[in-house]
Amino acid sequence: MNDLVLIRKNLFRRKLRAGLMTVSILTAFAIFGVLGSVERSFYAGQDVAAADRLVVVNKINFTQPLPIAYYDRVRTIDGVQQVAHLNWFGGYYQDPKNLLIVMAVEPNSYMDVYGDEIDIPPEVRQAFTHERTGALVGEAMAKKWGWKLGDHVPIASNIFSQKNGSRSWDFTIVGIFTGKKAEVDTNFMVFQYKYFDETRSFGKDEIGWMVLRTTSPALNDGVVKAIDQMFANSSYETATDTEKAFNKAFIAQFGNIALIVILVVGAAFATILMIVGNTMMMSVRERTREIGVLKALGFSGSRILRLVLGESILLALIGGLPGLGLAALFILSVRASLTGFLPQIMVSPDIALAGFALMLVLGIVTGLIPSLSAMRLKTAAALGRN
Amino acid sequence: MRSLLLQVAAVTLMNLKSLPQRLWLSLSTVVAVALVVIVLLAFLAMGNGFQRTLASAGAEDVAVILRGGSQSEVNSVVTRDQVRLVEEAPGVAKNSDGQPLVSPELYLVVDGVKRSSQTKVNLPLRGIGQEGAAVRKGITIVAGRMFAAGSSEIVVGKALLREFEGFELGQTVTFGTGRWTVVGVFEAEGSVFESEIWAALPVVQSFFKRDNVFQTLRARLANPAALEGLERYVDTDPRLKLEAKSEAAYFAEQASRTSDLIHKLGWPLAIAMAFGALAGALNTMYSAVAARATEIATLRAIGFGGLPAFVGTLVESLILAAIGGVIGAVATLLIFDGLSTSTLGASFTQVVFSFQLTPALAAEGVILALVVGLIGGLFPAIRAARTPIVIGLYGL
Repeated sequence: MNDLVLIRKNLFRRKLRAGLMTVSILTAFAIFGVLGSVERSFYAGQDVAAADRLVVVNKINFTQPLPIAYYDRVRTIDGVQQVAHLNWFGGYYQDPKNLLIVMAVEPNSYMDVYGDEIDIPPEVRQAFTHERTGALVGEAMAKKWGWKLGDHVPIASNIFSQKNGSRSWDFTIVGIFTGKKAEVDTNFMVFQYKYFDETRSFGKDEIGWMVLRTTSPALNDGVVKAIDQMFANSSYETATDTEKAFNKAFIAQFGNIALIVILVVGAAFATILMIVGNTMMMSVRERTREIGVLKALGFSGSRILRLVLGESILLALIGGLPGLGLAALFILSVRASLTGFLPQIMVSPDIALAGFALMLVLGIVTGLIPSLSAMRLKTAAALGRN
Repeated sequence: MRSLLLQVAAVTLMNLKSLPQRLWLSLSTVVAVALVVIVLLAFLAMGNGFQRTLASAGAEDVAVILRGGSQSEVNSVVTRDQVRLVEEAPGVAKNSDGQPLVSPELYLVVDGVKRSSQTKVNLPLRGIGQEGAAVRKGITIVAGRMFAAGSSEIVVGKALLREFEGFELGQTVTFGTGRWTVVGVFEAEGSVFESEIWAALPVVQSFFKRDNVFQTLRARLANPAALEGLERYVDTDPRLKLEAKSEAAYFAEQASRTSDLIHKLGWPLAIAMAFGALAGALNTMYSAVAARATEIATLRAIGFGGLPAFVGTLVESLILAAIGGVIGAVATLLIFDGLSTSTLGASFTQVVFSFQLTPALAAEGVILALVVGLIGGLFPAIRAARTPIVIGLYGL
């Protein structure tokens, strides 16, 4: 009989107890897996951001507009490779509750700046540039609303209206794009700024913000300074930052989600640490005589230590692995309904790996004291104890 | 009957007295239940605090008038002509000079810095009309004074001052090229208005190059029933095509999404954690029953029935859970209640709110604890009542 069999037999000697511990550990790891994925997806925006992309917004706040003339001026600055300008449309489809991420862009500059993130074939590029009412729709958005290439979709705005009083614009879907990387969220659409600017009833020649690419990330600081100095003391001062920093600050506006996740996961783990730790101690205490017998049979102290530690680690794995699996299943089942709010959510390999490491830690921590006391047990005393 | 009650009482007391023998295991159940209750109550207190901050801002006899479909003030656009038409609308109250109590407003988003995280946040700068303070309930200046008409002065809400940097009385604040002086701090009964910056409408319009642009209107109604007439008026007049709702309804809508979300997170998380704690409670109580097997069998042998063993175990479990529940509720009260924080609200600006634990919420927490205690005690109690005497006596 090898040690593994012994460990397994010990663990499942009291089936009910082992089962209860498993459930307890399972819930903690399921919570870890779900909240870990939520947190990861929530902060994904700042991780996706390219190092050489900068964002230029109005210094008052990013919801305030900038003049379109700034676009040409920023292009002349040394170190700036490509610039795109974007305008938030405040779009919704059919019902004001169906909010959509819709932006008005200049096609070529937009596709240049974001070419490394979204996949746009040459013919689509061609179509988007030439079709005045054309719109590019992300795969996730097209799937959600069942839109196909060539569809005409009316999208309303909760901010803008057309000169003819209508709040709705008609778009023709000229392309459906996919992300080049798995982390890229495609739940958005872009359409021609020209069409937008010519038809809207107010805000003509204004843009929302600019995104630009520098020739090298090393030039970022210099470019940031050059842009903000260029427009200092004008009536539209700018604030330029890296896309990463900008996304990070925006995400932080919702509150400290990371802290909430840490506190809840911490509470879940504190619970199982106590319950499992105490139970392990109790079951080793119950087996004192047996351990004495093993020692009398010639089992070394370190082997006893390994047996008990092995038992607690096995328990942690038996509870933890299905817990993570449950989390993955749960995330998979709610994934579709979370697009837009938590894009690309999944139990990623590094979350699973962190979970696995936590299982080992849990097993070692809960088994440490009982295994040490079992190792130190004097054979005679153990045999004598009832 | 009386002897049965005495038996139950005796066994229950005996169980409780033996608790110290399983101190650590029992304690871990108590703490596990307490943690579940803390997680639940912290979320509920957060949702409740947020909801109350918005709900308390809304009056039934004040109408908010927006462009249809705009959903929140920040998106709305209203023209000068529309403002004039609304001022003549039926049901709008008048002040002592006979002027309509209507405040045309501009709601702009400006940058500020949150103290706790030192990050840039969106803050609302509201240009309000002359009647701006009068169309809102419970506005009091607690430090300094109201801004003077036509000057670049601002007053700030108490909550805004607390959470964000640089708005102390007398400070100069820069939004773009405009420089503003903080001349007053106001309270608004703890409502969302305390998260705002207010200035005179014409000054905001000219500093932000929005001359003759308005976003929303607030109108004091002669009585809450007048809302219906106003709604019809702004909706049917082709020059208006606006949407009027009571301020109470407007803020209730604004609150619902975030507070719903908080509730929808809090309960499932707490229930998942409760399963973990339940497994712990079951384990504790099964161990207690096992440890007492001989004792229970002895009692049965000398004529005690199964019921006392059942009740004794169940009560022990319920008491452990109740202690955990109460500790959880008290801990939430001490740690989280009154905690001030802010998040991005539906108007795309920060809403400052405090966690608010109410007795009703605390009761929900204790009930969850008792459910854990009940289920955690029930099955072990059945086992205690059913263990055959012989097996129990021999400790098999």
